[in-house]
Amino acid sequence: MLLAALLVGAAGLHAAESPDYETQIRPILKEHCTHCHGEEEKPKGGVDLRLRRFMDGKTEDGSPVLTPGDPEKSALWTLVRDGEMPKKGKKMPEHQLALLAAWIKAGAKISEDEPAGPLPPGVYVSKRDRSFWSFQPVTKPTLPRFADQPELGPIDALVRTKLQAKQLDFAPEADPATLIRRATIDLTGLPPTPAETVAFVADASPDAYAKLIERLLASPAYGERWARHWLDVAGYADTNGYADADSVRPYAWRYRDYVIRSLNADKPWDRFIQEQLAGDELNAVSAANVAAAVLDPSKIDALTATAYLRLGPDGTGDTVADVALAKNQSIADTLRIVTTSLTGLTVACAQCHDHRYDPISQVDYFRLRAVFDPALDWRKWQTPAQRTASLYTAADKAKAAEIEKQAAAIDAEAAKMYKDALDVIFEQKILEVPEAERAAYRVARNTPVAKRTKEQAALIKKYFSAQATFGLDLYDKAADNKVVAKRAEATALRAKKPVEGRVSVLVEPVNASPKSELHHRGDHAQPRQAVTPGELSILGNPVIPVDDPKLPTTGRRLAYAKWLTSGDHPLVGRALMNRVWMHHFGRGIVNTPGDFGLLGERPSHPELLDYLAGRFVETGWSLKAMHREMMLSRTYRQSARNDAAQAADPDNALFGRYRIRRLDAETIRDAMLAVSGKLNPEMYGEPVTVGKTGDGRMIPGVEIRNANRDVIKVDTSSPAVYRRSVYLQQRRSGPATALATFDLPNMDPNCERRDLTTVAPQSLFLMNDEFVIERAKDLAARVIKEHPADENAQVRAAWVLTQGREPSAKELADFNRLLAEQTEHFAKLKPAKPVADASLKVKPVKVKSTSKKAAPQPTFPAPVATTQDVRVEALGSLCQVLLATNRFLHVD
Amino acid sequence: MSTKLPNGLCSRRHFLEAGGFGLGMLGLATLLRQDGLLAAPVKPLLGNEVFDLLPKQPPRPAKAKAMISLFMMGGPSQMDLFDPKPMLTKWHGQKFPGDIKYDNVAQASAKVLGSFWKFSRHGKCGMELSELLPHLGGVADDICLIRSMKSGVNNHLQGMLAVQTGRITAGNPTMGAWVTYALGSETKDLPAYVVMGHPSGLPTFANQHWSNGWLPSIYQGTFVRATAPHILNLDPPAALQGKPQERQMELLRAMNAEHAANHPGETDLQARIQSYELAGRMQLAAKEAFDISSEPKHVLELYGVGRKECDDYARRCLIARRLVERGVRYVQVLNQGQSWDNHGSIKSALPALCAATDRPSAALVADLKQRGLLDSTIVHWGGEMGRLPVLQNDAGEAKWGRDHNTYGFSQWVAGGGFKGGLTYGETDEWGHHAVKDVVNHYDWHATMLDCFGFDHDKLAFKRNGAALTLTNNQPARVVREILA
Repeated sequence: MLLAALLVGAAGLHAAESPDYETQIRPILKEHCTHCHGEEEKPKGGVDLRLRRFMDGKTEDGSPVLTPGDPEKSALWTLVRDGEMPKKGKKMPEHQLALLAAWIKAGAKISEDEPAGPLPPGVYVSKRDRSFWSFQPVTKPTLPRFADQPELGPIDALVRTKLQAKQLDFAPEADPATLIRRATIDLTGLPPTPAETVAFVADASPDAYAKLIERLLASPAYGERWARHWLDVAGYADTNGYADADSVRPYAWRYRDYVIRSLNADKPWDRFIQEQLAGDELNAVSAANVAAAVLDPSKIDALTATAYLRLGPDGTGDTVADVALAKNQSIADTLRIVTTSLTGLTVACAQCHDHRYDPISQVDYFRLRAVFDPALDWRKWQTPAQRTASLYTAADKAKAAEIEKQAAAIDAEAAKMYKDALDVIFEQKILEVPEAERAAYRVARNTPVAKRTKEQAALIKKYFSAQATFGLDLYDKAADNKVVAKRAEATALRAKKPVEGRVSVLVEPVNASPKSELHHRGDHAQPRQAVTPGELSILGNPVIPVDDPKLPTTGRRLAYAKWLTSGDHPLVGRALMNRVWMHHFGRGIVNTPGDFGLLGERPSHPELLDYLAGRFVETGWSLKAMHREMMLSRTYRQSARNDAAQAADPDNALFGRYRIRRLDAETIRDAMLAVSGKLNPEMYGEPVTVGKTGDGRMIPGVEIRNANRDVIKVDTSSPAVYRRSVYLQQRRSGPATALATFDLPNMDPNCERRDLTTVAPQSLFLMNDEFVIERAKDLAARVIKEHPADENAQVRAAWVLTQGREPSAKELADFNRLLAEQTEHFAKLKPAKPVADASLKVKPVKVKSTSKKAAPQPTFPAPVATTQDVRVEALGSLCQVLLATNRFLHVD
Repeated sequence: MSTKLPNGLCSRRHFLEAGGFGLGMLGLATLLRQDGLLAAPVKPLLGNEVFDLLPKQPPRPAKAKAMISLFMMGGPSQMDLFDPKPMLTKWHGQKFPGDIKYDNVAQASAKVLGSFWKFSRHGKCGMELSELLPHLGGVADDICLIRSMKSGVNNHLQGMLAVQTGRITAGNPTMGAWVTYALGSETKDLPAYVVMGHPSGLPTFANQHWSNGWLPSIYQGTFVRATAPHILNLDPPAALQGKPQERQMELLRAMNAEHAANHPGETDLQARIQSYELAGRMQLAAKEAFDISSEPKHVLELYGVGRKECDDYARRCLIARRLVERGVRYVQVLNQGQSWDNHGSIKSALPALCAATDRPSAALVADLKQRGLLDSTIVHWGGEMGRLPVLQNDAGEAKWGRDHNTYGFSQWVAGGGFKGGLTYGETDEWGHHAVKDVVNHYDWHATMLDCFGFDHDKLAFKRNGAALTLTNNQPARVVREILA
C-alpha cells in the first residue's frame, strides 16, 4: 500500500519507467547513505553503497541489500522506509524514497559504467560528477551572428541570443549624461564633475565613449574603487578580529596600497595572484633572508602581497580561550578566503567531513591545506605582531644612531647642568649640617645611593634636606628651566629619527617540513593519516612538490599559484570574470559568486562566462582590457528602462536592461565628499582612525581621552577625515557609521557579495546625521562661491552636481519657493552679524516643537536681509535633500 | 481606468501612472490606506506587484497577531536546561555506549557528561526544568516546551538559516520577513520587523538573521542597537526641527516621485520612498517606544532592569513588549554572538547565560499575559541546535563542555495560540536524538504560520515563475497537539 502510494507520488513516473541511476538515485545515496557506507575507512556493517555492484552483498544480518525488481526484499529500501536508516542526519524525504523504490522495482539498473576492482575509501567521483559544469575546462564558445545586427561583439551576441529566446531584445542605449555617470561611478566610485559631463555630452565624435572609458581607466581613483572590490573577497581589515579585543593590525594598510597600485598599473592578474599566494617563493625568500629582502625595492611589492594569506581574523595575539583552536580557525579562514576569492568554491565544510554535495573529500581539503602548511604551521605559529619585518634600512639605522649619539650628548650636558646647579646650592645647604659632620656628609652625598654604607645612609637621613641632589626646581626655578629646555632639545632631536616602519610578510621557516595530517572531524587534536599537498582532485592533478630542491622554500604555494594561473584551471578565470561582471552589471552570470558547486546557482549564460574566462587569459590577464570589453558592449550601454524585459525577467537574469542599483557604502560617502568639494584626494598610507562619539556614532577622527581613558571627544580637525572611504580604518567590530549604515560587510572572514538593504535608519542618517548636513552646507557654500551673483545659477549647479541634470523650470520654481521659506526660517534663527565673520555653523538653538500650543518664539534680533551664512544654511537644507534623493543614491 | 473612490481619491496605480507627480503621493496613499481610507491592493504595475506594509487579513481567523523571537544563537544545552536525563548522571564519566555524531570541533570525547544541575517540577502542569531557570518555572503553565526539536543541519550558519529561513543557503527570507509580508504592519510609525542587537554589535552572521532574501526589501528587519541611542540620528538638529524638515521632505517626495516614474516597478526605489515616510514618523514615535523610563517600578523590577546580571537583556525584552504593544509585527532579540555554544567551561558559562536571560524572558511572558497581549503574541525562545550527551574538552571539570547536536534539542513557545503548561516530544534516554513527536524546523514553521492563520504551503511568493514558500515544499506538519 505504502509503496503504491509512494510510487504514484513519484513525479509522474510510470511503473515500468526507471529513474536514472546517475542523475536521480546516486545523488540521494550520496546525500544520505555513503558517508557511513563507503566513504569512511570501514563501511558501516560492511555495506558499501558507493557503487551499484557493491549492493549485491548482504547486510550484517544476512538479508540482501538489494533485490532488483523487489523493493520489499531490499534492505536498502525497507530500512530507510521504516526510518531505521539513515541512523544520523535527516530522514530521507518521501519523494526520494519513492524514486528509490521505483528504481529498484524497475530492475536497479545503472546508467553509466562503473570502475572495476575495489575502491579506496573516500568519495567516489563518477564520470557524472566530473561532468558538472564548473569542473569542465573552459571552452571557446561558438559566437552567434545576427543578420540584422552583424556588428554585435561576442558579449552582445551571447546576451542577445538568450534575450531573443524569450522574444526580448536590448533596451535602447542610455543617454550620454546617464552613461558618463554610470561609467564614472562604476570605474572610479565617484560621480563625474559637471565639466566632464558637459564635455562628454557635447562630444559628437564616434569614439567619445571609448575615450571616456580610457580616461577613467587611467584615473588613480580607478585603483581605489576596484581595490575595494578585491579587498572584500580578500577579507581586508585593519584589526585582528576573532577575540573580543579586536586589536589593531597596524601594518595591514601596506597590502591595501599594494592592491591599489597593482590595479592602477594593470598588473597582469596571473602575476597579481602569484605574488599574493607566493610572493616570497617567487623571490627565493624565506625566514633566513626576509629581513634583507624587504629592503630590496625589487622584492618588496611581492612580499607585501603575501599579507593576503594573513588577512583573515586572527585572535592568536590576543586573549582567547583556546589558542590552538584559534590558530586552526585562522588557517581555516585563510583557506576559505583563498578558495572563495580565487575559485568560487566553498570547501570549508570538507574540513570536518566529505562534502555532502560536491565531490570534495576531507582528504582533498587537507591536501589543499598542506599547500599552505609550511608557512601556516599551527605547531610553529607566529602571532600577527611576530610575522612582520622591519623596513628600517642601513641608512635609516645609521642616521638614527647618529641622532641618538647627538641626543645623548645633549642629555649628558643637561645632566651636568643639573648637577652643577645643585652643587652650588649644596654649598649653601651643607651649612645646615653641624661642622663636625660636614666632611663625612659631603663624602656620603657624593657616594651613589647603592654604595653608601649604613652609616652614610643614616647620616644623609639625619640631615635629609641638606643633600640637594634632586628637586632643582624647588631651589632655583630659572636654573631648572634651562635644564628642561636642554632636555627638550634632545627630545626634539630624537623625534627626527627615521620612523621604523614594518610590513606584514608571510615566509616559510628554514627547512620547513610540517606534518600535514587529516584532522578527524576537523579536530586538530585528532590527527589521522598523513597527507601530501595537492589540488582538489576534481579540479586537476598538478604537480605540487612536498619540497622543491631547486628552491630555498618548499615551493608548494608557488606551484599551486602557477597552476591556478596556468589558464588550464577550470574555475579561476570563471570565478574572477563572474565577479567583475557582477560589479559592472549588478548580477553575476553565476548568481552565487562564492559557490560554483552543486548548491550554487547555475550560470545564466555559460557560453558568455567561458568566453570571458578565455578572453581574460588571452589578454594576458589584463583586467583593464576586460573592463573595456564589457563596458564598450551594447549590453552595458543599455538604458535601465525596458518594460518588456522587466515584466518577463524582473531579476534581470537575461541582462535586457541596465540594472538600476543603489550606490555602495563607500561610494555614497565619497560622492557626498566629492560634490561638496570636500574630498581630500590624498592617496595611500596609514588609515584614518575612527572614533566613537558620545551619541554612539563612529566617525573619522582621533579619539581624545581623559585621565580615566574615557573618550571625551573625537577630534575631526585633520583634513584626513575627508579622505576616501577606502582609507578609513576598517575595524571589524566598529566600522564607521556612515559606511555601516549602508551595508558595509562584516569581515568574518570575507565577503563574497554585498547585500544591500533599504531600511529606515538609512533615511534617518540622510535626514539628521551631522556628516550629511555638513556636506550639504559645504555644497551650498561651493555653489554660492561659484555663482556669487546669480541665485538661480547656484541652484542649477547644485542640481547638476547631484542629479546629473538641470532642474526644469517648474522644478526650479518649486525649489525656489521652498528655498524662500527656508531662508525666512534661518534668518529668524540667526543673530544679525556682519558677513565677514559669519560662521558656517549654526549654534544649536532650542526650538520648541511646532505643536499648536507653543509656536516657536524667536528670541533673536529682528530678521536681517539674507546674509551669506543664512543663505548657506537655507540652500544647504535643500542641498541636503539633493543628497538624499534616489537619483543621487542610485546609478542607472 | 483609474478607480474613483468615494472620497475622490484615485487608486495607487493611478498615482503611479500619473508620472511626474504621482509617486510623490505614494506616501500619502500609503497613509490613507493604512487609515483604511483606500480600498484593497490595486492591480500590479507592469506585471510587478506594488508591495506595502498595510495590515492584511489572514485567510482564516487566527489568534497570533505578533511574534517576539528570543533567538538564542549557539545551541543552548537542553540536558542542562529543559530535558532532564537521569541516564547521563548514572553513566557520568563512562564511555557512551552508542554512536555519537560529533560536529566539526576539537576535543571530542565519548565520555558521558551528567548534568551539573538539578531539575524540579514547576507549575500546576509539573513541567520539569533546571534549577538554572527558576523564573521560567514561574510561568511554566503558560509555556509549551518542545523537547523534540530536530534540524539535522550542522554548523551554526547553516543551522541558523535552516530554522530562520527553511533553507540552508544564504539569501532567503527569514520568518520575520515572511510574517510581515503576510500580514503587513499594525503601525505606521515604527518598522514592521525590528531586530534588537546585543551591545557587542552585529551578530556573527549579521543581516542574514533578518534578511528579506528575495522578498521585496520593505520586509527586511530593521536592526536597532541594544544600548541607547537604540536608533542613531533619531532627532533632527534643532535648526531643522518641524517646518524646515517638512519642507525638505516635500521636496524629496517630489524629486523621488519624478525619478520613480522613470523607473516603474523598481521595488527598491519604492521601498526607499516608504522608508523616508517611516523615518519621518519614527522621529516622533520611536523615541517614546524605546524609552522605558515611563514604565512603573514594579514592571522594571519584574524584568530585572537594574540588576547587574540581566540589565541589558531585561531592557531589550521590555522594549520588545513595548514595540508589540505599539503594533510592530515581529521582534527578534539577539544574544551575543554564539554565546550558547558551550564547547568548554559549561559549568561556569551556562549559569551566567541563564542569569542574564531567565528572569527577563519569563517576565516577558508574565507581563504580556497580565496585559492581555499573550493570546495574540507568540513568544519564542530557542536557538539553532542543542548539545551532546557526552563531554568535550576533557581537561578537568571546569573546562568540560558539550559539542553540537542538531538531532535533538529543545525550545519553548508561549501565547499566540500555543498551549500553556505542555511538555511535548521526547529525546532518547540520552538526550541525543529526538525520538517521539519529532518537530523539525519545517514543522515548526508550518505550525507558527498556522497560528497566524496561514497554510504554510499556500503563503507563497512568486518569483521567476515559481511559487516559493517558507517550508520550501518539504514535508511539513502543523503540530496540532501543541495548539490550544
